[in-house]
Amino acid sequence: MSLFMDLNLPFTADKKRLKTLLETAAHLGFSTVAINYVHKAQSKGKQEIPKPTPLDQLVDELPIVQGRSRPIKILNRLTILVTDTNHYRTNAAEYKAYDILAVHPTTEKLFHAACMTFDVDIICITITERLPFFFKRAPINAARERGVMFEVCYAAAIRDSTMRRYTLTNGLALVERNNGKNVIISSGTDKALELRGPYDVANLAQLFGMSEAEAKDGVSSNCRSVLLHAETRKTASGIIYTVKTPKDTEPKETDTDTISMVTDEPPSAKKRKTSAETDTDTVSMVTDEPPSAKKQKTSAS
Amino acid sequence: KERTDIKLKMPPAVYERVVVKNSPVYQYMKVSLVLEKAQTKLTAVEFKHLITTGLKSLYGEVGAAFPFDLLTFEEDTLTAVLRIYSRGLVRLWSSLTLLGFFQQQRCAFRVLQVSRTSSYTL
Repeated sequence: MSLFMDLNLPFTADKKRLKTLLETAAHLGFSTVAINYVHKAQSKGKQEIPKPTPLDQLVDELPIVQGRSRPIKILNRLTILVTDTNHYRTNAAEYKAYDILAVHPTTEKLFHAACMTFDVDIICITITERLPFFFKRAPINAARERGVMFEVCYAAAIRDSTMRRYTLTNGLALVERNNGKNVIISSGTDKALELRGPYDVANLAQLFGMSEAEAKDGVSSNCRSVLLHAETRKTASGIIYTVKTPKDTEPKETDTDTISMVTDEPPSAKKRKTSAETDTDTVSMVTDEPPSAKKQKTSAS
Repeated sequence: KERTDIKLKMPPAVYERVVVKNSPVYQYMKVSLVLEKAQTKLTAVEFKHLITTGLKSLYGEVGAAFPFDLLTFEEDTLTAVLRIYSRGLVRLWSSLTLLGFFQQQRCAFRVLQVSRTSSYTL
């Protein structure tokens, strides 16, 4: 059975509202949601990318997903509204705090660049106004090969009949071009009464011209591949990743962690640890190197 | 030996398997309406009118003319069972999904169940 996800719940500072929103999402059967932080990139001045609020500060208790008896999973997502090519910076350190990275291109050139080169997980489609450009097959196929998904939000369609027309038009135009293959449907609302259940959303996606199976994928398995794609962005092809461990605080615990990552024989490593402490020190030095080396590079450039 | 005894004591299975070979004529939906102000009362006629308005705003006159029936309606929980021709299910469902307002207050239809046989939804 596939898990349902809603990868766009806009961040609100209002804790009570966020709580009801999360409870409604869990009640409707979404087992994973992403809290979305929108960053409007500007050409002038220094840009501050917002830092995600830690989850334990946002919610006290995770609501239980209906029908799965498991707490809901909450992720952080950053959406960058790009109006110029240099607004997206490759490998910026601020992006790493987020689980999912999305861009919202506003011009055809940016859309092309986002599909072809940007290392992101989701490309948002404008739904509140007429499309400023036509979708072309070449960038959309390239995005599909790279595993980047297109996102259509449905909340605006509930709010207003003009927006509904634009949402349907743009959704239809998108599905016409990519045959409904890599589309995800998410809510994009901070009001609990504008959230809809996963099967409702799948049914709604059929209005975009997707088949029943594709529409269901749009709320389940395509979202899952977004998460997996996000994992590979953080790591080297999803195989290896480096963790910077703090040296001073609790050296013993962190050392055992790093050792088990590096060598394939944890028992022998443990033995060594008990025999001599100097050994563990050298190992931790080695594992600490890659992140610090990266840091130097970024500071130099 | 004990285990066989337990098996014998068990009541017969209560489930029933229904196989529908041709595509069914009707589909049944169990829906409930959630309103911003929980005290608001609706009659069955108002409820059906609300759904028809939703159909009309999304599909126009032709959509609003598509026949569907309100089989049961509970006024205190605002839960209803609808019957629709199978061909119209997607249209009815999507118009329920996109219905967001009832008399200037926010509302949402929660689809509780969709079935092709009436005995399970009722």
